[in-house]
Amino acid sequence: MKKILYISYFVFLCFVCFFSYLFVDRNLKFISLFFSGFSSSNRFSTSIIYTGIVIIFFLFYLLFIRFFSKNKLDGKDIKTLIVLTCVVLFFSYPAMLSYDIFNYILTAKVTFFYQENPYIVMPNEFVNDPFLAFTRATNKIALYGPVWLILSGFPHFLGFGNFVLTLFGFKLVALVFYLLFLLILKKISGNDKAVLLFGLNPLVILETLVGAHNDIVMIFLVLFAMYLAKAKKLFYMITFFVLSFLIKYSTIALLPIFIFIFIKIVRKEQLNWSKIYLVSLILMFLIFLLSPIREEMYPWYAIWFLPFVVLQYKNKIFKYLSISLCFGLLLRYIPFIYLGTYLEPTPTIRQIVTFVPTALFSLFYVIKKKI
Amino acid sequence: MFLTTAIFAESSYVLPYPSAMQGSKFYTISLIWDEIRKYWYFGDFGQFKYNLGESDKYLVEAKTLFEYKQYFLGLNALRKSKDYYNKSHPFLLKAHYKGKDTRKNLILFESASAKHIEILLKMKSEVPEEFTWEPEKSPPTKLYLHKEIENSINVRQKEG
Repeated sequence: MKKILYISYFVFLCFVCFFSYLFVDRNLKFISLFFSGFSSSNRFSTSIIYTGIVIIFFLFYLLFIRFFSKNKLDGKDIKTLIVLTCVVLFFSYPAMLSYDIFNYILTAKVTFFYQENPYIVMPNEFVNDPFLAFTRATNKIALYGPVWLILSGFPHFLGFGNFVLTLFGFKLVALVFYLLFLLILKKISGNDKAVLLFGLNPLVILETLVGAHNDIVMIFLVLFAMYLAKAKKLFYMITFFVLSFLIKYSTIALLPIFIFIFIKIVRKEQLNWSKIYLVSLILMFLIFLLSPIREEMYPWYAIWFLPFVVLQYKNKIFKYLSISLCFGLLLRYIPFIYLGTYLEPTPTIRQIVTFVPTALFSLFYVIKKKI
Repeated sequence: MFLTTAIFAESSYVLPYPSAMQGSKFYTISLIWDEIRKYWYFGDFGQFKYNLGESDKYLVEAKTLFEYKQYFLGLNALRKSKDYYNKSHPFLLKAHYKGKDTRKNLILFESASAKHIEILLKMKSEVPEEFTWEPEKSPPTKLYLHKEIENSINVRQKEG
């Protein structure tokens, strides 16, 4: 049974990896070999396949949770599944669902190759740069913090000017921080369930191991700061917390928590970590809900609050609410895949599909409770 | 023929609002802040933007001071604007020699130059040709306002 599960999951991941290459941009000359134009010329089929992938991904996820609860899977199995996911999806095409990775690459190029300040100079000022052909939002200055900028120097230099190497360098950064995050999560929670809930969550996998979003770096640093707080290493706690919000700023919402932790440690008072995780969850979820004020509620923003959900892994309502929300968030991509436009009705459909699964789950839960 | 007035090409380039003026207590702070900003604007395009931005700022300062007949202070600002303007273009050349595509910033530079000339010509029509500045404790100085403004225009025409 376990063998069948492994093989079917491996085959599924290979299919996801293959499917990601159907989204290769026509202007991406560096990997033109993989360009098929399938996703833009077969929008209906692509949408159906993508929906199927999301559903199957969540079915696998729920199956893993169920098997783990029934002791049919153990910590070693979880590790194997995570390694399998990393190995296969590392080779996937990252700009399947969002183009952020190209912005990371181009911002690093503005900084380290052109040696200009990316907070002043926009990428589109380098009119003849070949990366402009496939990068979106080039008329913006750097959106991320200086720590991310410094970190992006590693894949930039290790790419030796080769686009494909640089692209996979950025994917490697996301993968490394994903694994580091799981390591710290295991240490903090002392439980494989939390690792399973976060590490095998389809949204986390698609946005981190495929899309290579830097949110995982930010959230790793903040969780590491909490880990250091548990070890009463105040200086390092502050350092890593500052590093975290200098990646993408949103963890600044946790400042009151860290001030509270600092005071408690200085006073040598006991800390109630369950409450700290709960308040952290509320704060990060609020920031997530407020994200449309700045731009929009991107699916990968769920990574901001998910760690604090899985740290409450015994709370079934949180667990299933977050799973249904992650499912809804991944459905947000369908209107664009199908319609090919960000204009109406895409935004309206996105809003609806995001919250329908969560609303349905809540309704189901209320009815079940009443019965 | 006699009723016609000279019309100069108007540039869509937007100049900043006047900031702290000489004599204000915030002026020294603004100078320190500008000095710090110089390092933030690293890189060839960064330095080009910094110098052009400073040139814009001092041009607006000169215009405002001239409007209040503060010719001595206005002339200082005008000279500063010219100096920063002169410093900005070499950074574009430097960027060009390094292989950076400077087209977009060249358009910006040309547009800024046109705007500067537009302002300077207007300024020239509003100030006296000469002005004798009489400080309390030193001998009077003659300020050749038109000559200084023309000099500034020439620099813009040559570079832009």
